[in-house]
Amino acid sequence: MQIIIQGLLLSGLYALIAMGFTLIFSVGRVLNLAYGAYLLIGGYVYFTVSQTLGVPKVIGLLTATLVGCLLGLLKYRLLVKPLKGNHVAIEISTLILAVVLQAAIVFLYGDSSKILLPIVSGVTQVSGASVTYNLLAATVASWAILIALYVFVQKTHVGRAMQAVSMDTRGAAISGIDPDKINLFTWGLSGALGATAGVFFASYTQLSPSMWVAPLIISVAVVIVGGIGSIIGTLVVAHIVGFMEVLAVAVIAPELRGVFTMLLIIIVLVIRPQGLFGREEL
Amino acid sequence: MNLRWYHFALWLVFIGVMYAIPEFVSKGTLRTLIFANFLAIFAISWDVLSGRTGYVSFGHPFLIGIGAYTSAILTKRFDVPIEFAVPAAVMMTMIGGIIVFLPALRIKGSYFALVTLAFMELMYQLVQVIRPDLTGGTRGMSGIQTLTRGAVNGYYLSVSLMLAIALSMWLLMRTQLGTALSAVGMNEESVRGSGLSTTRLKLFAFLTSAFVAGLGGAFYVHYLGSIAPRALFDINFLFTIIVAALIGGASTIIGPVLGAFFLTFLLEFLRPYLPGAERYFIYGAIALLLYMYEPKGLIALIQRGWNRLRGGV
Repeated sequence: MQIIIQGLLLSGLYALIAMGFTLIFSVGRVLNLAYGAYLLIGGYVYFTVSQTLGVPKVIGLLTATLVGCLLGLLKYRLLVKPLKGNHVAIEISTLILAVVLQAAIVFLYGDSSKILLPIVSGVTQVSGASVTYNLLAATVASWAILIALYVFVQKTHVGRAMQAVSMDTRGAAISGIDPDKINLFTWGLSGALGATAGVFFASYTQLSPSMWVAPLIISVAVVIVGGIGSIIGTLVVAHIVGFMEVLAVAVIAPELRGVFTMLLIIIVLVIRPQGLFGREEL
Repeated sequence: MNLRWYHFALWLVFIGVMYAIPEFVSKGTLRTLIFANFLAIFAISWDVLSGRTGYVSFGHPFLIGIGAYTSAILTKRFDVPIEFAVPAAVMMTMIGGIIVFLPALRIKGSYFALVTLAFMELMYQLVQVIRPDLTGGTRGMSGIQTLTRGAVNGYYLSVSLMLAIALSMWLLMRTQLGTALSAVGMNEESVRGSGLSTTRLKLFAFLTSAFVAGLGGAFYVHYLGSIAPRALFDINFLFTIIVAALIGGASTIIGPVLGAFFLTFLLEFLRPYLPGAERYFIYGAIALLLYMYEPKGLIALIQRGWNRLRGGV
């Protein structure tokens, strides 16, 4: 029972983390290796605004989201667009950017990790398992955001345009959609999602300049296994990964928590490169 | 082979300069140069695989780590002499190269890069858990037998290794085989269409890259005398290798060497102003700008300057 509850909570958080990464990969067809940096920046912005300056938490969260969005837009304009089409170059330059941003955080805040106060404090007992309200809030927020995103992509005009660009950029351009605008929008949205996820992730673990690597790996796993352009796939795989981690920690050994995720990535990529839920690609 | 006399003249000058350096600089600078030499070896190894064939490896520390750990474990835990431990480490790394090669049969591009990244993370976590009595677990190992004492000897060893690898790789890439590997990077289908086995070519590239990585890794660990998983299987380490190869100029052999020296000295130059990890901020920013401005690297900049100079005269 405890495993199920912990698994559900962790998976919700992972789904939120992976969502922004999936969006970029589906629409822009590029791997944004600096995605983890959104989480990093989001966490630290929230820390500065709400914990150092003492502004209400909601405003802190909103500021973090805004900064993340801005970062995404800037990144698309300054980095992705000039390198248009060269995927390897984009991957490498985003990787460099992630390291640069990490160093910038070290420069501003120092190397040591910081404890982020829970966004929502308190603990409750659910059938023997202790659940912090904080993680519960993260899960609820994550589900709310995911549902909103799903409705947005399926129902609204912009969302459908995003789907169109994801399927066939040239076809979308012929039907009067500006792929550039949609891409820009997606990068902004992805940045905002990443920064929001970062606040929750940081309050779940802790703030440290190297905290961006783990969520990046998780996002990669979720996207690879889930496949391109599938919000449902992302959700399902986030639960697979989350439960695998919780099971590995509870049943085998805490040190092995990431091993099965890596094995899953490798096996799925070699056996079924288009992912479990994705369209035929490659 | 398309060799000219001035190629050899340039190599001779380069080798001569590298060997003369210890006469002129301090011990501290020599230690920096040793790191630059090892970085150059790793960058060449990355370049032979990724710069040529276009199969971008984000998991090169995986290969280097296999070499380093094998040699370290053999000498420290089983008292194997270094002369046998290093070849064994190179063999193990080449087996590792075949493991990395298998996914490359089916996938390429971004997906391949991700698999190699997953390999690196997998290795990082496994090393800490499986047989900590052998690998030293999270803390790693120290007190590994070293090959040389003092900075000068260390420098001669590392520079000899680096020059030998650079020269042999350079010659190798000048053959038809090297041309074929570059062709795989440009258009794999048309290489296959010309009747060449891309599988065999790719296997060759992976094995060569693994050979160099294993050799570099094994010698590196016997220079340092210690090893730790977080220092080795680290994104920052990976980042330094890739950036060195790209900044210098991918698929040129001499480019990665140039890049490695440029980066190492940039890092040392920044040390007095920024002591900690903040250095990576400036370092990374310079790398990013240079990469955005000239994706072909420093070597292309130098070549362009040289042409302009000659045109001017």
